[in-house]
Amino acid sequence: MAVLLISAVIITFFALLNLYSPKPLYQRASAILLAAINFFFLAGFLWICWFHWQIYLKLPLEVPQELIAWINRQIAMINSGSSYDMGLYNAAAPPRYKIPLWIENEKYYFWFMCYGIMALLVHFRLQSHRFRALLQIFLALQVAILYFWADPFSSPLPQFLGEVETWYKPGLSLMAKAAYFMRLYPKMVFYYNAEYMWFHPPLLFISYGAITIVFLTSVFMLIKRNLLIEKVGYGYAKLGFFMLTLGMLLGYPWALKAWGPNWWWDPKICSSLMMWAVFSTYLHTRLYANKKSMWYFTSLLGIICFLAMIFTFLTSFYFPGEHTFQ
Amino acid sequence: MKSKSSYDFYLILATALVLFAISLISIYGMFYFKLAQIQQMAPAVKMSYMNRMNSFIAPFIISLILLLGICVPKRLLPTVLLNRFAVLLVAVAVLTGLVAGVKASLFLILGASLVLQLLVLILALGGSKNLHFHKKGYWVRLGSSLIHLGLILFVLDLLLYEKKNLHLFLFWITTAASVVGMLLCFYAEFVVRLIKDKQNAATENSI
Repeated sequence: MAVLLISAVIITFFALLNLYSPKPLYQRASAILLAAINFFFLAGFLWICWFHWQIYLKLPLEVPQELIAWINRQIAMINSGSSYDMGLYNAAAPPRYKIPLWIENEKYYFWFMCYGIMALLVHFRLQSHRFRALLQIFLALQVAILYFWADPFSSPLPQFLGEVETWYKPGLSLMAKAAYFMRLYPKMVFYYNAEYMWFHPPLLFISYGAITIVFLTSVFMLIKRNLLIEKVGYGYAKLGFFMLTLGMLLGYPWALKAWGPNWWWDPKICSSLMMWAVFSTYLHTRLYANKKSMWYFTSLLGIICFLAMIFTFLTSFYFPGEHTFQ
Repeated sequence: MKSKSSYDFYLILATALVLFAISLISIYGMFYFKLAQIQQMAPAVKMSYMNRMNSFIAPFIISLILLLGICVPKRLLPTVLLNRFAVLLVAVAVLTGLVAGVKASLFLILGASLVLQLLVLILALGGSKNLHFHKKGYWVRLGSSLIHLGLILFVLDLLLYEKKNLHLFLFWITTAASVVGMLLCFYAEFVVRLIKDKQNAATENSI
């Protein structure tokens, strides 16, 4: 993370110079640094993959032989009252954690890495040195957020490891072990190992990266009428909307499975609906963006889309409900 | 991008307005949920909150479905006919609402819109002089029809949530229609290029 931060500081310096200069400065160096930041991001992501693989290999939920019959009776009882089955405990293949690569602080890492890759692609497509500078400053800001508030490497998966820590401590009584298993196992099935975790969150984070690009192009559209920048923004808006809609849709059957039918109009659902509606409005008004008033209105909507995205993300922290991170 | 002020432009503005209203209702729902501490209330209170939110949003969902009932097929069917159809549908829906309730009225509108959207999809698939499968417009129109069909099916699916098997089946159809629709609509140029490349390859092989 320190290497990432140092690269981000240097790229910010170049970006600020470019932002205030009428001529492009250090463009080659900026491009190399941007590529290097993406390389470090990818290297870190590979480390996260390796770490999760180690959890899968080394942290199975193994239950003492004498508890298996009791535990299976409990699971069968839970299954009888529910339409979704939790698998019975099998001593030959104890349940293992298949933790997705975007939980806890890793979600910010994945989100910002997606933005980094998009920023690199846009950097090579657009020549405007000021726009490139804006892309780089935003990337540096995200690296700073990771370093100071959401570092996934300094203490990886603290919440998960805190949950399972007691299970692996020696000297736990049989009764405590059984009770603990019945707490850990449903969460493993319906959250950590849920197949939807591999689609719903990453699609949303990719869309968040794309919306950040839309935001930057929209800010630029307010300042300068540049059709190429607008076109790039629209390309990312389409990608973002596609990922957002698909991600939201794929969350639906998962929510039915995990929470039952009564979660509609939960604050997170409301805010996601609001964000989707704002984004749809942006795509509709963009059809007439060549009208002068609509050009500014569309840009404004692009900015509101980004604010709606931040608001929707923060909803999980500040509003109660099924989706809360509190 | 389109250039001149037109009927289309005002329909887009109306759609934007309806979507804005849906956003406002969603924000209201969030703050109401938090301030009234709905999550700590009895299930009956939560149900009444959900029903109230449904009743708030229903008129805007109906407006949205009516708007896309006019918006999407306007190049395939005469606009005058579509306007008359929309007015008639509103009148019948209001009457049904008064006689049989809001849910029946919503079912009626969704059913009629679904039939219209399916007709549009068939017309779009058939193409025309202006809309042919090797042109971008053909795929944009087809994709747009599928997205809007997906939206109608999704709302219909929400109304049928108690019928569990049908509910999930319809949901996956909705998802498929929306995904294919977005791909065709957003990446029409790529689809056209793909078709042309295939055609060129086939021509070269035959030579």
